[in-house]
Amino acid sequence: MRIMSVDDSKATRQFIGRAIDVLGFEFIEAGDGKEGIEVLEREKGNIDLILLDLKMPGMGGMEMLEILKSLDLFKDIPVTIVSTELEREKISEAISKGAKNYLIKPFSQEELIGKIMENLDMGL
Amino acid sequence: MHATAEISLNEFYLMRNYIEKKCGIYLTEEKMYLISTRLTPLMIESGCNSFGDLYNKAVADTSCRLCDKIVEAITTHETFWLRDESPFVIVEEELLRKFTAEIEAGKRSKVKIWCTACSTGQEPYSIAMTILEFMRNQRSLKPEHVEILATDISSTVLYLAIAGRYDSLAMSRGLPENFKNRYFEPDGKVWVVKNDVKKMVRYKKLNLQENFNHIEKQDIIFCRNVLIYFSNDFKKDILRRIGKNLRPNGYLFLGASESIFNFTREYRMLQHSMGLYYEFKQNAE
Repeated sequence: MRIMSVDDSKATRQFIGRAIDVLGFEFIEAGDGKEGIEVLEREKGNIDLILLDLKMPGMGGMEMLEILKSLDLFKDIPVTIVSTELEREKISEAISKGAKNYLIKPFSQEELIGKIMENLDMGL
Repeated sequence: MHATAEISLNEFYLMRNYIEKKCGIYLTEEKMYLISTRLTPLMIESGCNSFGDLYNKAVADTSCRLCDKIVEAITTHETFWLRDESPFVIVEEELLRKFTAEIEAGKRSKVKIWCTACSTGQEPYSIAMTILEFMRNQRSLKPEHVEILATDISSTVLYLAIAGRYDSLAMSRGLPENFKNRYFEPDGKVWVVKNDVKKMVRYKKLNLQENFNHIEKQDIIFCRNVLIYFSNDFKKDILRRIGKNLRPNGYLFLGASESIFNFTREYRMLQHSMGLYYEFKQNAE
């Protein structure tokens, strides 16, 4: 499995990377939405899950989400919103635009792994 | 609106009763926050505007996917290696010696152990490592004599337990250095349980609320830090049913803060210098 974190916080990406290590999956990262799209294009959409920060300088998570969902190659990749955003409306908007679920920072490794498994439909 | 949605008392009672019915976990009014904090994401992701909506959606969901997610979100998976130490010392010093003597005398061929809520695997692997340590000095007991069954209600923790991969934080929680060196191997920043430990443990998804008559009779059952989440009625029920899964004179370990008193008289309390454990009475069946 290949999981991408798109987040401007290096600390968050490192935290997510450690959880991905525990799962034994491949970890890919990008610092903002634009870089995230570039990585996806380079990888030809071969990513199983995107963990997407909403608030980033440059292209933010909501804009990247809209682009993803408008392109055939990327639209089926599940997206988990990762954010410090405390407004329900913002999260609801992302869900209505196609994000599958969300995590509010700070989250535990257990919560993160739970979301990853839910998205990848890895229940036993 | 904040990331944690508000819950009314009526919605709390609806959700509480639903959760208790599905997995036995009983939440008092003081735990109202637990439902609102842990279930708000599910509420929003499911397109619901309130916990009342979430309840209605869960009840109407015949696939039980939403139910599973609710149970997954509400359960606690706190665990660490060799937790409380005493059960593992008792297993090594008392029970394995007894079972090994029985194997040597031809009175037994297997030792069966069941971990009822295994979380991410620390408890069953701690048991397996304890047994392997015992085998280093006692050659009559062999890995093929031992069967460890580990169950949990959560798919997520079972997946992690089966993977047997732990980061440095998880490794630092109670694992002695000699166990780490002997039974784990590094893979980048992660430590992986070696195969000779892994293959001693069989994992299975199980909700203790449901019938578990199909599980074979056991010599030892670990039901530790599980009962604390249940109502008194359900504790009584679980202890009675677990007794049926113990061989006569089988042994039960509970968590350090748990007791069987007031719930059943089918067990005899045994005292070891390190702690307490319980023996299922021969004629209790």
